[in-house]
Amino acid sequence: MLHLLRRAIGALAFMLVVTIAHADTIRFGAILPLTGPGAMIGTQQMRGIRFAVDKANAAGGVHGEKIEILFEDNQAKPDQSILSFNKLADLQKVPMIFTAYSGPSLAMAPLATRKKILLINAGAQADKLATASPYLVNTLPTIGDEVKVISKYLIGDGKTQGAILFENDAAGIAGRDDFVKYFPEAGGTILSQEPTQFGQTDFRPALLKLADAKPQVMLVSITAGLLQMAQQYKQLGLNSTVAGTTFFADPDTVADPSSEGFVHTQVRIDAPPALAAEFKEKFGVEMEFFVRQYYNATQMILTVTDKLLAEGKALTGENMHDELFAIGKFQGLIPLEFKSNTATVPLDINVMRGGKDVTIKRMSSD
Amino acid sequence: MLALQLLCNGIVTGCALGIVAVSFSFIYATTKIFHVAHAGVYTMGGYIAWSLLGHGFPAPIALLIAMAACTALGSLIQAVLYARLEQRSATHLVILIASLGTLAVIQNILAAVYTANILRFDLPWSSHVVTIVGNVRLTLTQLTTVAVSVGAYAGVMWFAHRTILGKQIRAVASNPFLAEITRLRPRRVHVYVVAFASALVCLPGVLVPLDFGLQPYGGVTPLLTATIAMIAGGVVSITGAFVLAIVITELQNLSLLFIPGEWSIGVTFFIFVIFMLFRPKGLFAAAR
Repeated sequence: MLHLLRRAIGALAFMLVVTIAHADTIRFGAILPLTGPGAMIGTQQMRGIRFAVDKANAAGGVHGEKIEILFEDNQAKPDQSILSFNKLADLQKVPMIFTAYSGPSLAMAPLATRKKILLINAGAQADKLATASPYLVNTLPTIGDEVKVISKYLIGDGKTQGAILFENDAAGIAGRDDFVKYFPEAGGTILSQEPTQFGQTDFRPALLKLADAKPQVMLVSITAGLLQMAQQYKQLGLNSTVAGTTFFADPDTVADPSSEGFVHTQVRIDAPPALAAEFKEKFGVEMEFFVRQYYNATQMILTVTDKLLAEGKALTGENMHDELFAIGKFQGLIPLEFKSNTATVPLDINVMRGGKDVTIKRMSSD
Repeated sequence: MLALQLLCNGIVTGCALGIVAVSFSFIYATTKIFHVAHAGVYTMGGYIAWSLLGHGFPAPIALLIAMAACTALGSLIQAVLYARLEQRSATHLVILIASLGTLAVIQNILAAVYTANILRFDLPWSSHVVTIVGNVRLTLTQLTTVAVSVGAYAGVMWFAHRTILGKQIRAVASNPFLAEITRLRPRRVHVYVVAFASALVCLPGVLVPLDFGLQPYGGVTPLLTATIAMIAGGVVSITGAFVLAIVITELQNLSLLFIPGEWSIGVTFFIFVIFMLFRPKGLFAAAR
């Protein structure tokens, strides 16, 4: 019995030492799909956050305090996200959590409101995210903003009859609903719509059914399997224009000949060559879209943290939220301006041509 | 034209699922184990072939080596996991849980090694399109899938009815107790069955991702559909499993002519439930 007591005291002492050693570490959370069909994007997002945090820590941290990100894997599932959120909020006491994917973000939004924890979304675009919680802040425009822009462009280009291929989840359905609303508002007609499942890569049946309606443009709202969709589209010999939003930002799809002529809106976010080279040296891959998005969002959070600590305020979710809106404008990889919970950012119209994504028009999301 | 294209696509997908159903049927009919980890074996076959092709191996060699790897994995699961659990009188539920755990391990290892990105095979010929009846367009991959699947089905029928091992397997499946006392060694036969079925499932495990891309978690849905085909076709019927896999896939595809795609799986399951009410032993239950 005595030796058990000694072991317990030793363990407690060890934990105390570890805690003291980490007392000068600021902890934030990140709930991302690190496994499952969403992991391709989730891994990019994780790398973006890690890259920004590692650079900050290498430069001495924020006010001498190191930043640590506690990553939780939600597999892009809302129920898993709730468990992870509660763990980070109640056990780890984090004031801020990065999130991704519309379904999980919407599921966590009420909890963020209740527990006053700042949720930063730099990847999801469902329209409901704009008003889901005062503590949910979006650093990229909603799908609705992008669909308005692409709809006007397509109608102006003479493509007035559309069919919609959408993913049967929060993001895809939001895109579908926006196309159904804004494409006719711009002067077009929706002839048909077909769902696919998240992670599914057999698009032929849905594409065939949509093509049977003979649309001039295929409006696509999917987040996974875009390359497979493009290849099957070409294999089936379909010839209407394919249009989408920033979800089309997939380097493999851009490089593949089957995506020739695909047109889409694109949140404009470029990385300086030196930064991109540094990232590639560290991670061995290109600094792709979601890496840049989450790098940018992390830079924003570090700015907010720095300001709070400089003012001697406690690092709580409420204070971070108030400080973020007090600052209002951030200049990272792209300028972010918060007139509401959703940032106003530059938006381009791109077309995939010769293996490259070429900008043909520059606009704004507001 | 739409109906014909959907019909042809359904035949392609159905044939691939048919081989999955046949292989799963082989295992279940003989061992009575719901070998969910079979989806992991199916998935691993595709990744092995992808890796070998990436290292310059010719496609047929890559396929054969992938089949050998799947055979080894399947045999290992049966000999080391299932057999030991059975020796310890584990219930079927416990074995099912163990199989689920094995599936999760295989999928996560594949995701860790290859990432969760959808990988594609670098075989230029695979996407070459051929126009057949009317304006129906199929890729060489799809045509190869049909040819290989039908050939595999014929091979399995020959194996089951014309070879000694095939007859032994059928004997063990029909009466394990009698097989035990006549020294057919059911435990050894179980390993042979799982090994054979694992090699077989590697065929669609390579051909389907050749068309749709490789994902570490992509094996579960085909296995579920194959399970329904197996049950609806009659658990011990190879022909039943193969034919019903094609029928189910056609139902899913052709239902799109009348209903939105989000309902096609629900409709298929609904038809399955109704079918089971009238023919619970399966369509081909009397046939072998």
